[in-house]
Amino acid sequence: MATRSDSNRTETVTFGFDWVSVALVLGGVLLLYYVVPMVSLFLSVPAGDILARMSNPTVVDSATTSLLSASISTVVATLFGLPLAYWLARTDGPVTKAVLAAVVLPLVLPPTVGGIVLLTVFGPGSPLGDAAIAAGFPLTRSLAGVVLAQIFVASPFVVVTAKAAFESVDQTLEYASRSLGKSRLTTARRVTLPLAGPGILAGVTLAFARAIGEFGATMMLAYYPRTMPVQIWVAFIELGLDNAYPVAILLVLIAAAALLILNTVASNPWE
Amino acid sequence: MGMTLALSRLCRSYGQFDFGPVDLTVDDEVLAVLGPSGSGKTTLLSLIAGITTPDSGSIRLDGRELAGVPLEDRRVGMVFQEGALFPHMTARENIEYAATASDRVDGLATLLELDGLLDRTPPTLSGGERQRVALARTLATDPDVLLLDEPLSSLDAPIRKRLRDELHSLFESLEIPVLYVTHDQRTATALGDRIAIVRDGGLEQVGAPSTVLTRPTSRFVARFTGTENLFDATVTNRTPDGATIQFGDVQLRTTASDVAPSAVTACIHPSRVDVEAPRVTDGDRTANTVSGTVTRWLNEGSEYRVTIELADGSLALTANVRPPTFERLGLENGSDVRVLIPEASIHLIPDAERGSRTH
Repeated sequence: MATRSDSNRTETVTFGFDWVSVALVLGGVLLLYYVVPMVSLFLSVPAGDILARMSNPTVVDSATTSLLSASISTVVATLFGLPLAYWLARTDGPVTKAVLAAVVLPLVLPPTVGGIVLLTVFGPGSPLGDAAIAAGFPLTRSLAGVVLAQIFVASPFVVVTAKAAFESVDQTLEYASRSLGKSRLTTARRVTLPLAGPGILAGVTLAFARAIGEFGATMMLAYYPRTMPVQIWVAFIELGLDNAYPVAILLVLIAAAALLILNTVASNPWE
Repeated sequence: MGMTLALSRLCRSYGQFDFGPVDLTVDDEVLAVLGPSGSGKTTLLSLIAGITTPDSGSIRLDGRELAGVPLEDRRVGMVFQEGALFPHMTARENIEYAATASDRVDGLATLLELDGLLDRTPPTLSGGERQRVALARTLATDPDVLLLDEPLSSLDAPIRKRLRDELHSLFESLEIPVLYVTHDQRTATALGDRIAIVRDGGLEQVGAPSTVLTRPTSRFVARFTGTENLFDATVTNRTPDGATIQFGDVQLRTTASDVAPSAVTACIHPSRVDVEAPRVTDGDRTANTVSGTVTRWLNEGSEYRVTIELADGSLALTANVRPPTFERLGLENGSDVRVLIPEASIHLIPDAERGSRTH
């Protein structure tokens, strides 16, 4: 018995050493694959040059459009998403599963397909699209179009992340609050939301990051006004890679800020 | 005050588990709800609190129907198993959150000895401290009914005992119906003005602790409240003031005479018999006398649990023996003893259920 376990241990050590090295190399290569291109991007253009190009009106316009539209989309997604997230967190059954599947659909759907789907509802030729154009508020080739595209792809992040945050709040605490004579609204405001807060903030941050990076559905729905991702595309096609750098760097900085929020005030859902 | 909580034909079914129908009236008293886990104790509280809605039946508080009323409007206070304190608030904020008047907080803090704890957060409090804060928080709402779901179950024995003593006088001063759920018979008898025994979603027996302990209506209640000595017996003779029963070759007189059938279960609580030396003739002369041999004993601190094999060896009886008696008799395995069983210590259960519903 003792001999056998000894020989086993020796084998484990021998093989274990090799596999650990292989695993380290595999993981390390992947990590470099993430980091090296980022560093490379910042080294591609002299810092002074970047600052100069960032004051270019097209860059400023696209940044304004992106920040404005992503802010609106995030607020709308949060407003509409939290009640759904709470319902998903507090119910269970086939209906809940089906609803959750519908929520996750935009996450797995290719964004361009998402754009096409949206065009059938909001595009010119659709009843809603035509009515909106007649009312002087076109839903495509407008800021509204950008927002619609962003909400479609980004709001699931709010719903899914906030759902997990609500689930982490023990329902007994809500019963306790209500048994103390507090209404559902007071309970939500003073017990549920504060406790789920960091998780909800994570969802909001992820949704904002996704909205600001949205390209596929936006291209289909609203090529104008140009958002930063669209501006990158246009600059790259018309003027070459160098001209796409400034906006790309801006987007990297925004992504870094989102990560910072996730790892400080919000509760990182992937930790 | 004078509140009365009345449940009538209350039912709730959960797939495999059916609760009710339950009929129960609770006045200004402490009703200890005692039963094994999964018997429906928490369901009973959830229905009264409004966390669970009944399938049918009514819950009336001083005539006001509660079934269908949202829990926030019921004025039913509930202390949850682990306290359910809001973790993002200090103890004081927890109580203030509930308080109907802000000046109540300090009074409750004094009453429940929370003065040094008010600025601490729930995770830094011990289990007993959390329960006291939770109780203060619930009392701060000035409820019409108080429900407690095993608030002492997670505590160490000494703290549990101390809190139990404190709670008893506190509950008396409230003058509202108090339902106290527990699976611990000692807590139930210490705290309850009455005890309700819950089994399989229904009420098995409701009565004063002494009645439930000494006059169980079923083998289940007898076992659950600590009467280990249950014998399948036959009534051989019946007189106006009692009966004679027989099991094995043991014949006993009992004052119990209110049982009609001849097949009965004889219940003898281990603390209601005396153990004496074999040939000494003092002690209660009216008591039944049975001779036996000690086969096992266990020191349980405040008393010894002694297993005695009765005369012909086919029956065993457990007796609780106080340490002085145990030491005076010099009991050990193999000691011959005389067991005195007072006639009033033998309780009879009609044996319709013998063999059935065994738990």
